[in-house]
Amino acid sequence: MENTIAGYFLSFAPVQHLADSLGVGFTSFLIFFAFCTLFLVILATVGGFGTIAERKISADLQARIGPNRVGPYGLFQLIADGIKMISKEDIMPRSADKFLYYLAPFLSLFGVVCTIAVMPFSKNLILTDLNVGVFYAIAISSLVGVGIFLGGYASNSKWSLLGGMRGASQIISYEIPVTLTIMMIVLIAGGLSFNTLVAEQAGMPWNWYIFHNPFTFIGFFVFFISTLAETNRAPFDLPEAESELVSGYHTEYTGIRFGLFALAEYIEIFVVSAVSVSLFLGGYHIPFGLLEGTFSNEILQFGSLFLKTCALYYVVIWVRWTFPRLRVDQLMSICWKYLTPIAIFNLVGTAIWIVAFDGRSMFDLFFGSGVH
Amino acid sequence: MISLKAYLFVSMILMVTGLVVMISRKNIVAILLGIELILNSAALNFVAYSKYAANNLDGHIFSLFIIVIAAAEAAVGLAIVIRFFQVKETIHIDEASELREELTR
Amino acid sequence: MFANILFSVSSLLVISSCILMMWTKNLMHSCVYLLGVLIGVAGLYLTLGADFVAATQIMVYVGGVVILMLFAVMLTGGKDYQSQTQKILNLFPSMGNKYTFMWGVGVAFVFGCTLIYFFRNLFSVIKVIESDDSYTPTIERLGELLVTDHLVAFEISSVLLLGALVGAAIIARPRKERPAFIDDIVDDHHHDEEHH
Repeated sequence: MENTIAGYFLSFAPVQHLADSLGVGFTSFLIFFAFCTLFLVILATVGGFGTIAERKISADLQARIGPNRVGPYGLFQLIADGIKMISKEDIMPRSADKFLYYLAPFLSLFGVVCTIAVMPFSKNLILTDLNVGVFYAIAISSLVGVGIFLGGYASNSKWSLLGGMRGASQIISYEIPVTLTIMMIVLIAGGLSFNTLVAEQAGMPWNWYIFHNPFTFIGFFVFFISTLAETNRAPFDLPEAESELVSGYHTEYTGIRFGLFALAEYIEIFVVSAVSVSLFLGGYHIPFGLLEGTFSNEILQFGSLFLKTCALYYVVIWVRWTFPRLRVDQLMSICWKYLTPIAIFNLVGTAIWIVAFDGRSMFDLFFGSGVH
Repeated sequence: MISLKAYLFVSMILMVTGLVVMISRKNIVAILLGIELILNSAALNFVAYSKYAANNLDGHIFSLFIIVIAAAEAAVGLAIVIRFFQVKETIHIDEASELREELTR
Repeated sequence: MFANILFSVSSLLVISSCILMMWTKNLMHSCVYLLGVLIGVAGLYLTLGADFVAATQIMVYVGGVVILMLFAVMLTGGKDYQSQTQKILNLFPSMGNKYTFMWGVGVAFVFGCTLIYFFRNLFSVIKVIESDDSYTPTIERLGELLVTDHLVAFEISSVLLLGALVGAAIIARPRKERPAFIDDIVDDHHHDEEHH
């Protein structure tokens, strides 16, 4: 409670006055509710800006201009897109399974949005610091796979069905290297909550877990590749491969239902990038403990996390517009023959490292002898 | 404070529906769905008793093992179902009777 | 208070999903209702303070079992074979006639009465601990218990999972009428006999 938003805000005088009149439990519930809504709105906006970023960056990589009519640099294109999505006709195929057809986009979005409950944006800007944080994030995000599969099945179209099957099998398969890699970090940090995972990475970049030992360095790339596959991004975007399947699992979806799928995808990239930053790239920490204990420190921490996440986001889009798509069998063999064994090797290697060097990082061993 | 009986009631409903699904359906996958319900009711009971009767975490461990076993059971069971479908081209449970002795009626 | 709200919502979800799952003829919908049941049970675990079990429940079931079920339903056609018991009124499935059913009802009555007799003191025998709603994290104690008291079961379950993995892969693999490894075994056998 102390480390969450409600605890942070309950220390303010006006909020305490409110808490006295309404009761602490209800007030913290109200604060939670307000912040959840705020986070949702912000995340939806981030997802919308994701589409803009995708189009602008792809245009940049291909020496085009991209959308530049609506607002400065075309920044308000997302509003135009949103209005277009909402006002479009909502078509359902006649032979579709109505219940599942309506349910699928919501399941997909639900799975993504629930993960922001444990995202550490700064030391106190975290909705709830669950002690099973990262485990919860992996667990709830697996709903996305169900949503994709049901969307593909319920449309009653061959393209959609193939896309949904590919999506579900891909997400199940790539969950294994992702989980094993996260276990490696959990082993080093000694806890599942995000604040525990981030805590030891404070300070300079060499304290980040990516530089903790050689295995985590490999592990970061395993994690990054697997999350690319889990978010159905190129070069692993087989579920929506437009050259073979028209548009994959959301071929038959129109209007805002298609928009929900697209939004889920873009938010998921953001969330996954934020998770990789928290696990490997130092999370919200800033060097030198700048302005420790003040509110500006919180803003700087948030900025630090946001910058790193956006950098990873850029890399994800960059990868999409650079690499060709894989075949299905190549996709599966990469997961099961390369990434999973490497992840297991990393896990065992990290365990041995922790026992052998008493949990000290590489930098600590080379330069910090005696200081520790 | 929620009483133990409330959990036992929910668990009973899970158990009974699981049993009904298992008995009344003829599709093997549906029978596996019923088994999942029954396993869940057992796991829920373990956790409820572990809070209300024992006040230690052994019940949690038991339900973790139940979840593990349910996962293994689902994997093997569905593999058998798919193999059965390849051979028989149906998954009606009454078709799985090749090992039965011929009844003399 | 929030535990009560969570309990009401979760149990409502569980019970309604259960009944719908029993009711519906569409197997795909059944699987989706199973999803509702599993998420509801995870919510019930949360009201009991079992955070790790709840997360495991969602992870294993939603991420694995439900998707496997959906795949199996789709690959096998998802046809619901109408059994007679689903129409409650003419209750004569292929597994018996009315005499067996009469015997069954009688035995069930006697058995049920016996069970009620045995368990009538259940709530007085079990000393219900009136614990407060304060929440203590369970992960660390669970981890300790898994590698101390329950180590053997933990190891055996890992062997079980490995067996299930290999077994499922072998069983579901499409193969010819006579698997190749049987030929190999037979050939080896002949080879050995020639040696002798």
